[in-house]
Amino acid sequence: METDKSLVMNIKTGDKKAFGILVEKYKKVAFRLALGLVGNKDDAYDISQEAFLRVYRSAHTYDTKQPFLPWFYTIISNLCHTWLKKRQHRLNNTLDVDDSSFLLIDYGNPEKTMVKEETMELLRKALMELSFEDREIISLQHFRGMSYDEIADILKIPRGTVMSRLYYARKKLAKLMKEQYA
Amino acid sequence: MPKDKRELLAGYIDGELSDKERQELESELKKNPELKAELEEFKKLKEVTGMVRYADLPDEIWENYWQSLYRKLERGLGWIFLSIGAIILISLGLYQFFKQLYIDSQTPLMVKIGMTALGLGVAILLVSLGRERIFAYKRDRYREVKK
Repeated sequence: METDKSLVMNIKTGDKKAFGILVEKYKKVAFRLALGLVGNKDDAYDISQEAFLRVYRSAHTYDTKQPFLPWFYTIISNLCHTWLKKRQHRLNNTLDVDDSSFLLIDYGNPEKTMVKEETMELLRKALMELSFEDREIISLQHFRGMSYDEIADILKIPRGTVMSRLYYARKKLAKLMKEQYA
Repeated sequence: MPKDKRELLAGYIDGELSDKERQELESELKKNPELKAELEEFKKLKEVTGMVRYADLPDEIWENYWQSLYRKLERGLGWIFLSIGAIILISLGLYQFFKQLYIDSQTPLMVKIGMTALGLGVAILLVSLGRERIFAYKRDRYREVKK
């Protein structure tokens, strides 16, 4: 099985087969990473596709000494950031959650007690009110289930900063949920 | 408790602390009810987020993902060639136009001056716009992803 690095090396030479393998491997990862940041399925789909196009066009700039995922994540994060800026501008600085179905109750998890739809709605709204950076770290830890080391790698920050950012992001998320409940 | 120590709460509920950090925090939790309340709040939050998952797309969309992406890739190449062709033809057309304008002795001087000014104005505006875009690009904190 080819590694990510060798696939990108082949993409550099215009190898579309290698590109197809890479897309197949990361398409769902890309979609979910984008979904966590923009909170809208249609946009997350478009952003994931645009991210792959950038990989194809910018493959020659990829540093093969570095792992692929952090590089790819930075592309996705950048696209999401641009998308949110445009969207905020369009909606006069209010981020409207028009796709409330981006988070679903996990009925496939029998160990958990059922969460109320009302609580879910509070969570969805509170998540989209967080800053980009806070939503990013919450998304990676809570919904992608990444370890602190994995988050540190993907965001290119020290492990201690991951803990610190998570602490403050959770404080804000809890506060926002309380405010909305009140 | 110092602020940076409170941050250990995040690592505590995620099981990411070292033994030493965990023991330190647990001993602090016993004597600090405020900290304990904060921990409970985080646990509750973690419980709620643990009960939800991201929505997925229908299978048919995933099956057609590559085809859709490939079409976009082809279209992108099409636009690049179209742009190159348009730039070459427009540049050549403008060159011929101005050449004829200056050679033709029948054309009034005022028309020649007017057309030259118009051409210069458009060129200055394009250069200015380009410089602004380059300046904005250099100040973009996320620009490194394109490198």
